[in-house]
Amino acid sequence: MFAIARSEFRQIVRNRAVLITTLIIPLASSAYFIFNRDMFENFDGNGYLGAILVFTIGVFSLYSGMVTILAARRQNLFLKRLRSAAAGDPALLVGLVTPISLISLLQVMLVLGVFAAVTTTPESLALLMLAIGATFAMALALGMATAGLTSSPEQAQVTTLPISLGLIAVAVWVAITGTEDLTVLKRLVPGGSATELIANAWDGGAPLADSLILLVPTLSWVIVSIALAARMFRWEPRR
Amino acid sequence: MTIQDLRRGADRTRLPDQDRPSNERSATTWPPAPERKQVSIASDHDGHRSSNPVITVDNLNVRYGDFHAVKNLSFQVEQGEIYALLGTNGAGKTSTLEVIEGHRKATSGTVRIFGEDPMNRKAVRPRMGIMLQESGFAPDLTVSETVRLIGPLTGRQDNVERVLGVVDLVRKAETRVSQLSGGEKRRLDFATAMYGQPEIIFLDEPTTGLDIQSRDALWNSVEQLRSSGSTIVLTTRYLEEAQQRADRIGLMHAGGFRHQGTVSDLTRTLPASIQFSLSPGAPAPPMRFAITSQQLLRIETFDMQKDLKHLLDWADAHAVELLGLAAAPTRLDDVFRAIDSDPNPS
Repeated sequence: MFAIARSEFRQIVRNRAVLITTLIIPLASSAYFIFNRDMFENFDGNGYLGAILVFTIGVFSLYSGMVTILAARRQNLFLKRLRSAAAGDPALLVGLVTPISLISLLQVMLVLGVFAAVTTTPESLALLMLAIGATFAMALALGMATAGLTSSPEQAQVTTLPISLGLIAVAVWVAITGTEDLTVLKRLVPGGSATELIANAWDGGAPLADSLILLVPTLSWVIVSIALAARMFRWEPRR
Repeated sequence: MTIQDLRRGADRTRLPDQDRPSNERSATTWPPAPERKQVSIASDHDGHRSSNPVITVDNLNVRYGDFHAVKNLSFQVEQGEIYALLGTNGAGKTSTLEVIEGHRKATSGTVRIFGEDPMNRKAVRPRMGIMLQESGFAPDLTVSETVRLIGPLTGRQDNVERVLGVVDLVRKAETRVSQLSGGEKRRLDFATAMYGQPEIIFLDEPTTGLDIQSRDALWNSVEQLRSSGSTIVLTTRYLEEAQQRADRIGLMHAGGFRHQGTVSDLTRTLPASIQFSLSPGAPAPPMRFAITSQQLLRIETFDMQKDLKHLLDWADAHAVELLGLAAAPTRLDDVFRAIDSDPNPS
């Protein structure tokens, strides 16, 4: 597992386009927050903005990156090659997705760290980590499921669009309109409750029990995503 | 061609080591291969291998939707033998091989390797090496990184330098896989398959894209692995390689075996031929013959020695000159062509 993760990391680092894209998102957004810190100092709703940042990285770095990586590795039969090994499928998958997950996690930590420095610090770091973990788990599982429908890395640019735009749209919708109206719907759509959870963790004010209830739909979407991944993921190109 | 040549060719099996080109003969490698318990191949009093199967396939069926790729296939591969799975395009070779390797589930039937289900990777993969038909390597890793990654994942241990030395890729150790030629990628593939001297090695089209020196070197390594007890299962499109290297051949067509056995078992299924022409006015030979499009007389025979002697005796007795006399044993190509041209496969 560690050997696979190490080799995946090497491949990401050696691919200049991927490396630049990986660095651009956190550096550009961090620079934006720093240069416009006056605007964010008195900004109301830092939690929702934080949620949009988490979803932006979770979708465009983790989810899309993972689909592209898995499609590329399957297309050149690297996944089949790995399956010639003694290790089981879960260990192989963990090895394959660990580097992109860690990179995305670092991106989130950097961006949120800078964001917290120019605005306010999160009220509940533990809840925030839990929400980020659930969002990332959902992105990973959805990535595996989407990779099952994606024949090549080029095709990944198209197949990732519906879920990418859908998740971002939900996060922005919940962030802009809040959850006072259409509460149930906003909590049930994928990403809706996770967005609210991140906002609660950052801004505080909501009772812990209310926040923990939001974990139910969030984790349900994680389970649905994992079920989809188990059903749709393929190790070899279609014959 | 002499009678001795005919006798030799009529029942030809694998060439012994001393008959092969010097560059193919056994050689030692350095650093030495990892030690593995030498496996003795049990023989009966006549020198025939006694049954000690490492692979048992029983009534295997593989379907892809409506397409029945492998039909009721049953066979065994004995320990220490080189078994070649040959067949026409779409015959079901790769599907069969993938089920045995544990890359694909059988639709029905039983497959056992070392007595285990091939899908039980933890139990069987440390004992098997797999050379895929297509490389499947990460293009951005170097050659040595690739061996260091893929080799240990099998659960075996070896020296990367030694393995790269066997396939002559030491100079390319720090080259990225994307910069290798097709032949070099095949050699890298073989290196990962033979890493740690597995008990059984699957070679899917191992010499496709290799130049002649690389082919010789690869077969030399295969012979060394076999002499240390490894079992080899291979597919190849080069029939002469199968004819020369394999102990037994399974010849597939339309999802099933059309023939299985040694090369001589297979070639005995078709008659050998004697061809010649006669001077104008010569009497007809006393045997059934056909006239080819080149106006040659062609006699088909299942007993080359007896029929050729009969023909030569007749020619002597009647002072007939057999012009351009040529006697050819049945070759594997002939058997292959015969099943390929069969319009009604069973």
